[in-house]
Amino acid sequence: MKNSFFIFLIFSSIIFSQEKNYLVSENLFSPSNIKIFADFLFDQKDYLRAADEYERYLSFVPNDTIEFKIALTYSLMNNFNEAAKKFNVISKNSSFYKPAKIEFLKSIFQTGDIAEFRYKYSEGKVNKSYLDSSGMTSLYMYSFLLTGEPLPYEDEFIINFPASERQKIKNFYEWGKDPPYNSQLKAAIFSAVIPGLGKIYTNEYWDGIFAFIATLGTGYLSYDNFKAGHNLRGWIFGSLTVGFYGGNIYGSATAVQIFNAHIRFNFINDLKSYLEDKNYFLKIFN
Amino acid sequence: MISYFKYILFFLTLFNAKVFSQIVIDNQYNYSLRLYNAEQYFDAITEFKRLLFFDKGKKYEYNANQYIAMSYKMGAKFSDAIRYFTIAEMNARDNDELFDSKIEIVRTNILRRTISHAIDLLDSMKADERFSSKSGEISYWKGWAYIFNDKWDKATREFSKVDSNKTLTEFCNNVQREKYSVTFADIISHIFPGSGQIYTGHYFSGILSLGWNILWGYLTINSFIDNRIFDGLVIGDLLWLRFYNGNLENSVKYAEVENLYITNRAMDFLQNGYLGKKP
Repeated sequence: MKNSFFIFLIFSSIIFSQEKNYLVSENLFSPSNIKIFADFLFDQKDYLRAADEYERYLSFVPNDTIEFKIALTYSLMNNFNEAAKKFNVISKNSSFYKPAKIEFLKSIFQTGDIAEFRYKYSEGKVNKSYLDSSGMTSLYMYSFLLTGEPLPYEDEFIINFPASERQKIKNFYEWGKDPPYNSQLKAAIFSAVIPGLGKIYTNEYWDGIFAFIATLGTGYLSYDNFKAGHNLRGWIFGSLTVGFYGGNIYGSATAVQIFNAHIRFNFINDLKSYLEDKNYFLKIFN
Repeated sequence: MISYFKYILFFLTLFNAKVFSQIVIDNQYNYSLRLYNAEQYFDAITEFKRLLFFDKGKKYEYNANQYIAMSYKMGAKFSDAIRYFTIAEMNARDNDELFDSKIEIVRTNILRRTISHAIDLLDSMKADERFSSKSGEISYWKGWAYIFNDKWDKATREFSKVDSNKTLTEFCNNVQREKYSVTFADIISHIFPGSGQIYTGHYFSGILSLGWNILWGYLTINSFIDNRIFDGLVIGDLLWLRFYNGNLENSVKYAEVENLYITNRAMDFLQNGYLGKKP
């Protein structure tokens, strides 16, 4: 009887209660408690702490699911360099090896280092057909649109994307092949012929009108002052006319650069948001 | 006899389970608190969250959330801090705890510069009968809200309602007196170009502005007198008005910049030299 009393006492001290979906033992830092707490933090989107707790769990129990989850937390925190490192160390024997490799390449892509992404893709592609079936080839091709490099032939390019996306990709391809940029030379010539016209060509209407008025206004003042015999004022306004005229030509040429950069910026933003919308064309975690 | 003993054993087991689990939770609370006191705020948040996760009896629901919020506040994560102060507020066990959480939300809003929200909260607290004995503290934090909103006259009024706060009342009053009136600088510059700059202590700029306005004003008027209407319009429009407008903008800008220096000096003192409670 005495023995059973102690057994009960010890038993109840070790396992207090089993409530809901987790077990509360006397040790809040037991591996199982660390894991359920880490899962809770992950659900709460407190990824940094979740990663710490998963790391703590790993120091007790090797577990490839947790390794994968740690890498995922870094990816969700947009820490793509760290995510790539963590995805890359998942063992070949793990059932997560293939998704980890795909996520590894995706993370490198997300760091913005496209050259490294292409290198790792080409390196990983050898004897790894799953990269093709995962949609990674689409991402590889898409990277050419982002860098502004010469694009492959249209047929070779488009065939790598899912049929449902090809029309949209074709539009992007055509844009990438022949971007609707304005010509600096044209803008300069326009402004030389009619002051301000080059600015209007780049959609800067008020700047164009101002350049027109300023050049012609100071020009007229110069002419009028010379005519009235006020030579000094004539020269001052004449110099201003030359300044406005030259500045208007130079300004139009630089405005084209800004205009083109703006167009390119919008295009890249469209590409990126489309890519995110399509989950990078990857067929995991959809 | 044996059956009786079984009952005792059963209740002992239950009691033991309850007591031991409570000790674990208490230990976790003390551990978290030690981390907080050691200013290890990141770890303190983790451990308080662990405590909340395992504390099924919700004994520390208020304290843990309050400390998590304080830790976030220390790390300048003000929105997170407010979220946890709000949870603490919902778990307050009495009016004092409720008041503390609400005041912390106000203080964090002040730091986050969502001042109008802080003032709204303080007004609603003032109207709440449960906090009728704490009107002094409410006025005190309202004063701070006005300081952060750069309304030193209103801050003076609020601090003057708190008997023990003569220091802050006088300080805010002095800052208010020291500041330049932007409207006054603007008006005198309209009447006499350059006077706004001179008012704010920028004598050279004021005289220069006056000189330009006299020169272009003279040339404009002279052109009209000489019947050179086009010259008069161009000089008046492109030069005189341009310098006149510049003088107006400059005087307002100088007054605002000088006020900013005064405010920054005052804030610097409050941050480093004032020993009372701060947001």
